[in-house]
Amino acid sequence: MPIHEKSLIRPENLTTHEDLMLDGVDVSGHWSTFIETRVVKDYNESLQDEIAALPGGEQIHRCWQCGSCTNACTVNAINEDFNPRYWIYLIRMGMESELLRDKDIIWQCVSCNKCTYACPRDVFPEGVMKATAHWLERKGHTEKSPSTHFDEVFTEQIVKTGKIEESRTMRRFFSRTGQALAQPWMIEMVKRMLRGLPIGMLTRMGLATLVAPRTNDWSSASAAIQEYIDEQHEKQSQALSLAELVETAKQDVAA
Amino acid sequence: MTTKDKYKKVAYYPGCALEGSGHSYNRSTKAVGKALGLDLVEVKNWNCCGAMEVKNIDPKIQTYLSSRVMSTAANEMDMDVVMAPCNGCYHNLKKAEYDLANDTESAEVVDRLSKKAGHKTYESGQVETIHALDWIKEAIGEDGLAERVKNSLSGIKVANYYGCMYTRPRHIFPEKDQGPGSESTSKPHFMDDLLAAAGAENVDFPLKTACCGGAHTLSDSDTSTKLVLNILKAAKLSGADVIATECPTCHSGLEMHQIRAEKTLGETVDIKILYFTQLLGMALGLKAKKVGVHENINDSIKFLKERGLG
Repeated sequence: MPIHEKSLIRPENLTTHEDLMLDGVDVSGHWSTFIETRVVKDYNESLQDEIAALPGGEQIHRCWQCGSCTNACTVNAINEDFNPRYWIYLIRMGMESELLRDKDIIWQCVSCNKCTYACPRDVFPEGVMKATAHWLERKGHTEKSPSTHFDEVFTEQIVKTGKIEESRTMRRFFSRTGQALAQPWMIEMVKRMLRGLPIGMLTRMGLATLVAPRTNDWSSASAAIQEYIDEQHEKQSQALSLAELVETAKQDVAA
Repeated sequence: MTTKDKYKKVAYYPGCALEGSGHSYNRSTKAVGKALGLDLVEVKNWNCCGAMEVKNIDPKIQTYLSSRVMSTAANEMDMDVVMAPCNGCYHNLKKAEYDLANDTESAEVVDRLSKKAGHKTYESGQVETIHALDWIKEAIGEDGLAERVKNSLSGIKVANYYGCMYTRPRHIFPEKDQGPGSESTSKPHFMDDLLAAAGAENVDFPLKTACCGGAHTLSDSDTSTKLVLNILKAAKLSGADVIATECPTCHSGLEMHQIRAEKTLGETVDIKILYFTQLLGMALGLKAKKVGVHENINDSIKFLKERGLG
């Protein structure tokens, strides 16, 4: 079955009749299952352009739907609903409402780049997954994913100091996503870590949490990076027409 | 200067993880370098390469961050080669190199940011970025290594785990897949070659370049645990005693989710996890402590002692 017909055979789109005669032919029962008529009217014609305006999505138009990405995909192997080829198809067709059915799993791409390695058309599906996940968040279709929170905590620390101190990044991530740090497996891990670590190392790690390592003379690089990030953020907001989206929402509320 | 000499003194870019969770990789890389008579000069006042996280926020910022490291090595230290043992750092420097050579927009952004930050803009081609595997392979080679082995790793069965970032995507590694002698992106073998030269028995391990879910190790832990469990089980089924690693994110991912699989899924896979530099170091006669075996979470001290190592 062609990938774009997947939605036709969802249970809610199938009907069987207990007792039905058509032109004198008995079409009752499971053997003559009917597919409900589908009319798609809600194409979002700017969907592909919007994804292409976000970092990673630039080459989506090159896709030939060969399916190498999904075939190679690490996450697809453990969750068959995770289907980059299908999402790229939906985006290119502008079938936003179909895409939104999978909005809560698209961020789970692990960036292993097996898709990008396999893609014969240089679509960079890994980048397309990131762009799509960001699009969903920026358009307000989903909350920020844990992964985006992690990226933000991480990037903020680099912009500020030039380097990463892992325990600080971890603590900030757990607090921002409202998770308890003291999960049983984490406690067990720390226990096993302490088993082998000499005092000197512990003191060093302790110190690192108090005095974060930093790159010297970082302030002008930091300012330049932040300026660029803000500039790009603004550009992307325009490409995604976020201001109009807010305006429409306001009018809806007022009405 | 022979090719070997070119790699005898290199700029060393440890990166953030090697100062934290990957400390034993840092320690063992330096110790192996010393034992082999190779000179590592740490990149002055380095910064993070941008990792995957900054790339996700903005790929060009990641390119800039990596370019600053290469600019320092080339322009302030006059070095030709940068060696990064971390797969993430290695990958990002390679990616920056590719983007700067092939994408004018990236080059413009990097130039603008470098000028504002007050340092020389990195020009593509100024340095060659290599992995710790390339470094030992090029500077010493298998024969050179075999001559220097004091404690053979014979009898140790190793599954070599390379992860994602060392070989993918292919286009940022133009020197790979160039026929005999070069590294393969589909079936990498440099780590196998080096460990075999040190006497280890490499098992036929099908998940050499599988993903450990390192990108979401904390944000989607259940996925990472499943992926790691696959790797651990496949290594065990291949007959390995040890998984040899070459990336701090893979290494700590395997260690962390080995425990998490125990605690959340009740699945215990008894297999040791060591950096390839730790195995090489011990083969070169270094004590386990010298290569930081005690700093690993996965406890292999008794296992190594029984085999006359460390």
